[in-house]
Amino acid sequence: MDVVMPQLGETVKEGTVTAWHKKVGERVEANEPLFEVNTDKVETEVPAPVSGVVAAILVAEGSTVQVGATLAVIEEEGKPRAAPASDAPLSPVVRRLLAEHGLDASAITGTGSGGRITRDDVLAHLERRKSAAPAQAPGGGDTRVALSKIRKRTAEQMALSWRTIPHVLQAVEVDFHAVDQARLPHALTYLPFVAFAVCRALPEFPALNASLDGDVLVLHRRINLGIAVDLGGEGLIVPVVKDAGEKSLTDLARAIHSVSEKARSGRLAPDDVTEATYTVSNSGSFGTLLTAPIINPPQVAILSTDGVMQKPVARGETVAIHPVGVLAQSFDHRALDGASSAAYLRKLKQILEERDWAADLRGF
Amino acid sequence: MAELTYRDAVAAGIAQEMERDQRVVFLGEDVAAAGGVFKTTVGLLERFGPGRVRDTPISEQAIIGAAMGAAMTGLRPIAEIMFSDFLAVCWDMIANEIAKARYMSAGQMTLPLVIRTANGSGARFGAQHSQSVENWAMSVPGLKVVAPSTPADVKGLLAAAVRDPDPVVFFEHKGLYATKGQVPDGEHVDRLGTAKVLRDGGDVTVVALAAMVPRALEAAERLQREHGISATVVDVRSLVPLDTRTILAETVKTGRLYTVEENPRLCGWGAEIASIAAEECFYDLDGPIVRITTPHVPLPAADALEDGAVPSVARIVETIRRTAG
Repeated sequence: MDVVMPQLGETVKEGTVTAWHKKVGERVEANEPLFEVNTDKVETEVPAPVSGVVAAILVAEGSTVQVGATLAVIEEEGKPRAAPASDAPLSPVVRRLLAEHGLDASAITGTGSGGRITRDDVLAHLERRKSAAPAQAPGGGDTRVALSKIRKRTAEQMALSWRTIPHVLQAVEVDFHAVDQARLPHALTYLPFVAFAVCRALPEFPALNASLDGDVLVLHRRINLGIAVDLGGEGLIVPVVKDAGEKSLTDLARAIHSVSEKARSGRLAPDDVTEATYTVSNSGSFGTLLTAPIINPPQVAILSTDGVMQKPVARGETVAIHPVGVLAQSFDHRALDGASSAAYLRKLKQILEERDWAADLRGF
Repeated sequence: MAELTYRDAVAAGIAQEMERDQRVVFLGEDVAAAGGVFKTTVGLLERFGPGRVRDTPISEQAIIGAAMGAAMTGLRPIAEIMFSDFLAVCWDMIANEIAKARYMSAGQMTLPLVIRTANGSGARFGAQHSQSVENWAMSVPGLKVVAPSTPADVKGLLAAAVRDPDPVVFFEHKGLYATKGQVPDGEHVDRLGTAKVLRDGGDVTVVALAAMVPRALEAAERLQREHGISATVVDVRSLVPLDTRTILAETVKTGRLYTVEENPRLCGWGAEIASIAAEECFYDLDGPIVRITTPHVPLPAADALEDGAVPSVARIVETIRRTAG
């Protein structure tokens, strides 16, 4: 039977074998200590799953391996070692189970025809792994996914923000008719227009483009705009367009596109994600009505752009169908008050609705 | 409960429905005075009289044409086609008229009729009297298709077919007429479009129809006893509507699907089930879907050859044993 690296905690993906208590050729009884594993959280003695003779030790002391990896083989009495997993193809359900549980086929002994790994082999393997990891909570059919690095970082940062910052949410409804007139011929999204309006509005409201440093509010001269980018299940990252306030609409559109692409292809440099002074989070493409975003400290505000839909709007005495969407800002009530946040949102709305956008795009 | 033969269950089902509903009439070749060539309708003439139980000339077109007209004008006829092979003789009326009338009249006409017919091999009747043609009927939109494997299902599904507002082709199996089983007393009505799980197993799922059901069950016992393979057996019972929910659920439980079909291989009903399973539960399959069928040949009349062509218990056991690992 294969002895594998057990799952020793919810978030543990790998472990280091620190000591073997048996040598190859030695006899071991079931539940007798076989080896020790160190993870960043625990040091654990792992018992042998079955009685028999240690036929092979595949991982040296000091090696760090993934959970589920085969560490040793115990030859059970009267039971010739099953044929090793051959090159026989994996069935659809076996592939799915391996993927769902993050297993490597080579860690599982196939008992099907020609050494094929069957569904039952995978399930038995999982069952053994579960019994080797008593710390794991029971949960029939549940899948436990260790948080990725980026997820853990997000979790810490967001929990800190939620615990320490008194968030206030305010929102305005914006008529994007003027923006649509300008953007559609150039196939631009709403985001650069909103970002540009933010850069025009922020200088009038310095308390929003700021950081809270203890009892001191640091008002920033530069506008470094954080753009939240979803990495499709792998997490969220916020690359920063530096000195966004200095950029024309077209340069800003290019810069946002460039950092987003870098984020999605994993090519961001450490410098690309620091020094943000204000953040824009964009859920609009999913058609959301309103998002209450969480502030990324030490910043003091964050803006969410939500879905823009065609809606009837009053134009004087008549009704017109215009693209309308909500801009929502969460601000840190320690740093400023609702009146200035509200005035800022009014300014944003005014810029988006009234600016001569065609002039910004001339020659683009 | 009473023990009835599959044969007697036919007459019991027809009688139950004729008793209940005056509009139910029954017609076919040698069905009245002779009680049916397979003795499936003995006593009906005496009980319900020549007005409602009628012998017809030897003309399948006349039988089906009369039934169609009767259904269009308010009766609920049961028509017998002596051998299912002869459905081909009146196929235009079945496939083009009966199956399409509701649709083409925008629901102004319904055809609540049942075509009963003796299907399948085992009696050495040769290539024109032994075929399993349930897949012919299954391929025609507008027809419901039923093929029971037990006396209780014969009675219950026949009653459900008579009460259904649309045409149902009801395949009885010649090889099962003499088999016996418990049938509920009193009125017994089943539901069309429902499969039945007859045996629970953990390793493979075997779906079968009509005469292949008892063979699949026997094969399952042998697989368990001799090879330690535990098989679920599902009786499909109804091809249209098809109980995909039960079939897929049982397939997912074991990850292995086998069909046992008496119809010839090409476009047999199991091909449809295999295709549905491949589309809808591919990621729960732990090996290829395997069809165990009669080959694509005209059925021979010689005993040994007919036995060799149609799936046998031994062939089912051997195929599953060889491929289940």
